[in-house]
Amino acid sequence: MLVVKKLTKIYKNVTAVNDLSFTVNEGKIFGLLGPNGAGKTTTIRTVLNIIKPTSGEISFFDQSITRNFLNEIGYLPEDRGLYKKSRVNEIILYFASLKNMPHTKARKQSDYWLNKLEIKQYKDRRIEELSKGNQQKVQFIISIIHNPRLLILDEPFSGFDPINQQIIRETILSFVNEGKLIILSTHMMDIAERMCSDILLLNKGKEVVSGSLSQLKKNFGANMVELGFEGNIDAIKNLSYVKSIDNYNNYAEIQLNDSIEPYVFLRDVANKMKVNHFRIIEPTLNKIFIDMIKQSN
Amino acid sequence: MKKIFEISKWEFLEKVRTKAFILSLIITPALVILISIGGTLISSTEEESTKMIGILDPSMSYYYPLLQNLQNYTIEKGKPAYIVLNLNQTTNSLEQNIKDADSEVIENKLSGYVLIQKFSPDSISVEYRSKSVGNFKDVQRVEDAIEEVRIDLSLSKLGVNPDLLKSSLKKINISEITIKEGSKAHKADFITEFLSSIIFIMLLLMMIIYSGQMLVRSLVEEKSNRLIEILVSSCSPEELLAGKILGLSALGLFQRLIWASIGIALAGSAMIPSSAFSNAAIMLVYFILGFLFYTALFVGIGSIVTTEQEAQQITSYLSLMLVLPIAISASAISNPDSVLVQVLSYIPFTLPAIMLLKINVIDVPTPEIITTVGIMILSIYITIIAASKIFRIGILSYGKKPGLKELISWIWEK
Repeated sequence: MLVVKKLTKIYKNVTAVNDLSFTVNEGKIFGLLGPNGAGKTTTIRTVLNIIKPTSGEISFFDQSITRNFLNEIGYLPEDRGLYKKSRVNEIILYFASLKNMPHTKARKQSDYWLNKLEIKQYKDRRIEELSKGNQQKVQFIISIIHNPRLLILDEPFSGFDPINQQIIRETILSFVNEGKLIILSTHMMDIAERMCSDILLLNKGKEVVSGSLSQLKKNFGANMVELGFEGNIDAIKNLSYVKSIDNYNNYAEIQLNDSIEPYVFLRDVANKMKVNHFRIIEPTLNKIFIDMIKQSN
Repeated sequence: MKKIFEISKWEFLEKVRTKAFILSLIITPALVILISIGGTLISSTEEESTKMIGILDPSMSYYYPLLQNLQNYTIEKGKPAYIVLNLNQTTNSLEQNIKDADSEVIENKLSGYVLIQKFSPDSISVEYRSKSVGNFKDVQRVEDAIEEVRIDLSLSKLGVNPDLLKSSLKKINISEITIKEGSKAHKADFITEFLSSIIFIMLLLMMIIYSGQMLVRSLVEEKSNRLIEILVSSCSPEELLAGKILGLSALGLFQRLIWASIGIALAGSAMIPSSAFSNAAIMLVYFILGFLFYTALFVGIGSIVTTEQEAQQITSYLSLMLVLPIAISASAISNPDSVLVQVLSYIPFTLPAIMLLKINVIDVPTPEIITTVGIMILSIYITIIAASKIFRIGILSYGKKPGLKELISWIWEK
């Protein structure tokens, strides 16, 4: 269990992270979300112990986090690159050695992961000879080869094609089953929505909302419907109980006042335009993200 | 400790296998050899074939002595350097002779000829006529020979034995002896001292610039591909710093070792007398201290830049500071007690190089050695502390270079 309490980091006169508290549990993926510059990277760096917090506490399995835990943490940074001229296997073994991994074990694990991620044929190639996707796989291996207890993944899917995204996703899910702590930082709301059990939404260094995703959706209290239609959207806009509309042209996601029953809305619109389909929906994380951030701004 | 070792091993092995490094092992000695023996090579190719040279001396008083003198020169395998022809056709006028000789030069039958004209018993005019100027060696030899012949001739007129004069004109070389406290007088030679000092300083300079640039470049690379974040989430910045310095220093030393072996294999120890290195131990101390000091500086500065261009700018400024002692080395050796040298020998930036110079020329008192070594150790300590603080923050900041004020605040940040 990773517990962060009242974390604050101030650079000169900029408060990058302000009084942040959260808990990451085993066997769950923790989503660290927020717009650019929200303080996600700073939060990650303090957890990694790369930078010292101005105040606050971070504890890892009830022990205050120090550099002693470096070997138990795996980190995949958002911006990626590797030594271009180095060879795949050598670079993996180098980083494994920096995690104090015994050489023979590292060798075995390297072979295992190269095989599992389907790049074993590139084992002795230079990094610059690999495609971008395959370079990213090497980086992924570097972050997990030492079997860390805590895994911090910053945009792990960016740059992968759908097939490789699936391979990476399955690998991450297998870590969940093994009971690892996983922090996933991403802008891809659909991925966060499907993978994370708990989320923390940050904006300008402050918590906007946090908790389990299902609870969050309930609390968001959306009375939402999806409407496929032909006609002019203005007809809907004029209804007094419509709170907001996300118009996608062929269909729209519409939030209604809590007091109104969706069928009343359907009856009203059916009189005014041709309705192709109608569905009561949960708010998407995307919707929650946009609304919450707008509100906090 | 284990991580420091792993990092230095990686840095060493990664760089040692690069094409650039392997080339540097060969190219640098090759360049040095080319430059040092290039001159001799060029002048000796000039001599490869025997030259036809004519002498036109209507008075015939210089012809025979000159002929003898020029015949003494040989090229490889004992072949004569010159075949000398007498161009004086007594049946022709001087003008006609000159005309004939000139045309033989133009037709490449002769590479040149010496025209000696006597106007009065005491005055002669000598010309070396050829198609091109720049036959320095030939002209010099002719000049020397004529000079000798002229002196011999005029002395024998006066009844003096020319050999007597030669011996009394012999040059005397004064050898300098520096007196060292408590030890035997030791024969010193300015050139030897100058060379051995300069070689040490040049080695120091090249190694600092080479390793420093490597260090900065590898930091810039790791910063730009964000590998630095994975590195410092695997080991402490201090371990990373130490590992890099060790690995790249080992690389620099390895390179120098190879160069030295190539040098010794090719030239033997003939180039520099081993006596020049009698102070090798203490020189090595200053060498290592200077290297560590500058490397720490490079690290501190290297960690705040983000691009290769910025890195190059900064390394060139630092290198300029290193060049200063070389610029004043000649005067520093001849006058090691001057105020400037005294002052520079207490400033950490110039101290190692100046001490490398001084130690060979004068008997530096032990207290001065202790003080200067102390200054260096203290400066290195302070620089490493400051550099690692700057490094800690600098490697994670991108974009705008921090100002001096900001840097200082980094150093004080706990």
